[in-house]
Amino acid sequence: MQQVRGRDVGAVANHQPPTTSSYTWLLALPVLLLLVWSVVYPNASVIAGSFGEGLRYWREFVSSPTDREALRTTIVIAVGSVIAATAVGVPLAFLLTRFEFRGRRVLSVVATLPAALPPLVGVVAFLFLYGESGVVTRGVQSLFRMDHAPWTLNGAGAIIFVHAYTMYVYVFLFVSAGLERLDQSLDEAAAGLGASRARRLRRVTLPLLTPALAGSMLLVFMSALGSFSAPYIFGGGLRVLSTQIIASKLNGAMGLAYVETTVLAVGAVAALLLLRWFERRRTYAVSSKGTIARAPLHSPFARTLAPVLGVALVVVLILPHAMVVLVSFARDGTWTTQVLPPDYTLDNFRRLATDSDLWVPIRNSVSMTAIATVLDVVVCFVAAYLIVLRRFRGKWLLGLLVALPWAIPGTAIAIGLASTFDRNSLAGAQLLLVGTFWILPLAYFVRGVPLVSSATEGSLRQMDPSLEDAARGLGASWWLTIRRVVLPAARPGLVAGAMLAAITAVGEFVASIVLFTHANRPISVEILSQLRDFAFGTAAAYSVLLIVLVLAITLLARWAEGRWSRTETVVIQ
Amino acid sequence: MRYTRAAGVAAIIALTAVAGCQRGPRRTVLTVYSPHGNDLLSFYEKGFEAAHPDVDVQSADMGSQDIIDRLRGEKANPQADVWFGAPEEIFQRAAREGLLAPYRPTWAGAVPADSHDPNDLWYGTYLTPEVIGYNSQAVSDSAAPKDWNDVLDPKWKGKVLIRDPIASGSMRAIFGAIILRSIRETGSPEQGYEWLRRLDAQTKEYTLNPTILYQKLGRQEGLITLFDMPDLAMLRDRYHIPVKYTIPRSGTPLLVDAIALVKGSKHPEIARQYYEFVTSKRALEDAAARFYRIPVRTDIPADSLPQWIRDALRQITPMPVDRAMLEQHLDQWMQYWDSHIRNSSR
Repeated sequence: MQQVRGRDVGAVANHQPPTTSSYTWLLALPVLLLLVWSVVYPNASVIAGSFGEGLRYWREFVSSPTDREALRTTIVIAVGSVIAATAVGVPLAFLLTRFEFRGRRVLSVVATLPAALPPLVGVVAFLFLYGESGVVTRGVQSLFRMDHAPWTLNGAGAIIFVHAYTMYVYVFLFVSAGLERLDQSLDEAAAGLGASRARRLRRVTLPLLTPALAGSMLLVFMSALGSFSAPYIFGGGLRVLSTQIIASKLNGAMGLAYVETTVLAVGAVAALLLLRWFERRRTYAVSSKGTIARAPLHSPFARTLAPVLGVALVVVLILPHAMVVLVSFARDGTWTTQVLPPDYTLDNFRRLATDSDLWVPIRNSVSMTAIATVLDVVVCFVAAYLIVLRRFRGKWLLGLLVALPWAIPGTAIAIGLASTFDRNSLAGAQLLLVGTFWILPLAYFVRGVPLVSSATEGSLRQMDPSLEDAARGLGASWWLTIRRVVLPAARPGLVAGAMLAAITAVGEFVASIVLFTHANRPISVEILSQLRDFAFGTAAAYSVLLIVLVLAITLLARWAEGRWSRTETVVIQ
Repeated sequence: MRYTRAAGVAAIIALTAVAGCQRGPRRTVLTVYSPHGNDLLSFYEKGFEAAHPDVDVQSADMGSQDIIDRLRGEKANPQADVWFGAPEEIFQRAAREGLLAPYRPTWAGAVPADSHDPNDLWYGTYLTPEVIGYNSQAVSDSAAPKDWNDVLDPKWKGKVLIRDPIASGSMRAIFGAIILRSIRETGSPEQGYEWLRRLDAQTKEYTLNPTILYQKLGRQEGLITLFDMPDLAMLRDRYHIPVKYTIPRSGTPLLVDAIALVKGSKHPEIARQYYEFVTSKRALEDAAARFYRIPVRTDIPADSLPQWIRDALRQITPMPVDRAMLEQHLDQWMQYWDSHIRNSSR
């Protein structure tokens, strides 16, 4: 599995994409306008709103002890999450890419599982598991006959704990990919020259891994900065910026909410710019077709320890999913001081199946996800095509625009949309979307743009750009070239990106909680209101359904990929 | 290519199917925003729909503060028709911000002058007493706190759970009453702040929402809480959470819970019918018998109310509440509490 990007291969690197032509602009302009309108405009109006009364709101922000505390806690949590996620992700990546041991395959499949857990569901599962009266906590307490719960799940520590679980996946995936790309002959050469193992790690492996490591750390930083579900559910009075924004909005202090949103978004965008800078610096020292050689573990100690550790890890990684399934069968109101729910029933699922009102959120989530994903695929295919295969002025802008929603936290996106699209105004290019069905598909679309476009760009970069010229030279029309050459090349990325976008959208909570209306309430919001109504079983049943939906999307994407890669290989080659 | 097309066709069919599901026999949708909980809401929903088969009542259950926030955001395109429930303090704010439409119900004469808006923008429906709740498995009736000051007893240190007061109408009412008491007795809020500081020292956690509070109380993560009576009674009887409450001896704030029509509602006529339906004598008797709600209307015969309400009303000493002062200062007091008292002594 050698991933060689087109631009890294010498023969291709010198190729100059064709220069600007009129149809490039014909394509670029609508995409640029759509992105400026849906991404830049709402956020710009939030920034403008923060200066609504000169510097008053900013002064209010700076002088408020609660906001200073929120800012401090946000940064502490973001940095803590980076450290925790790296501490888990890097060793795991090394273990799984460098060593062969029993159970390695299972572990490498399970290792990405946390990414498939919708944020709200993950947080609720953690509450059931590790909360003060959670299963693990009560289990430990009764095992050691303690009077008090051994720990409490609140404050910054708890949030970092959840982040470590959900976000280590980024570090793990980036570093694993980096390790797989790494040319092992370099390592062998260094060994041959007499470098010790530690020295090789320090002087060969780590420098080559730096871009992947730094990139994933920034990604964790960005995600932790904007994380909302964990602090919202068990912050226990802890203040972070994302929840403070919602609190200010609830208190009717919109000006202050705008300032808080601006601070949060600017911080995250700064991290994004840094990330892009790192990506541009990324140079692959490799192009050989070296296969990964996994070393068997030699010492008997390691040989017994690795599988044991592996099994423990698999259990920890699966527990949240298992917990949600367990609670979905628990009878509401029976689980009080016992370690495990004492009474089980199928009623929760029966209610979902028979009460037509309970189907509404499921239908909403599925249809809004479908709409947003289709739109993402169309827009991002065009954007990626323009970015990779065309040359025109303003390309850097397009590149930045499609990446921007990655950094802007969901709360900030939602506040921007809510404050911009709350009226019809031709002069202001505003459309009344607040309170309509369409506001959520729009938010999901915006959140999906960077996922689909970056995956598609990746695929297109693997295509030799001269193929397009060759097709045109052989007399194919532009449209035919797009259909038969570019689209098949982009397809793996489009499918993977669409899958990620759909998974994100179907469980989306952060923007939904701000923007939903009763008529288009998605599953995540319904979970929260079932929790509010003390129907933990029903909430868990919805969560199980959400996990099943995520699974279905993944399987669908796998199936589509397999289908197409079999029929289209000829064209790609 | 063949497969692309097949997949495309499949996707379009799936999309139309999903969209198709949303059609069906069209009834007029009446949207109600309310914090009263699914049980009460679906009870009235069924009753109203039985009487008006062409209407589909959609009740959105959310916190009182969430409701006013939504109404603000949806001002240009109101989604709700009726706002059923929240402390009057929040309704007053909404009235000031022009979010409500006036309506004078047929029973307007049966409501005390201070329990409705002078311009008919909202009317009181239920009286909600604030009480002290405790886990009845872990705390015996005789040991339970009997008055506000008992909660400050050292034996409850780290055992008190409080619903996050900023977002909770009930908690704001309790905190406001404590500061009003201090102003009444000493002329300044300082003594009230001191009381709240001592409460903060007792408090184990400020929970995000009532559910987490109930869960933690039921599972003995904390033993004592301050909350409203109907919700605690509901918790005990409907969800079998081992919780009891005492009515504070020295007096307790009686919150007026209200109802209003949303300005810009698309179905004002049906909204008025719903308004009347849930505040009729019959509906209020149901609310008292099934959902522990004490009616504001004074023309409900006492013998048609359940025994426990009559008992409770006898036990309750309403705390005098200076509404004008509350409306003017409560936000400021809560702000002060949030930045200077919360977490200061723990």
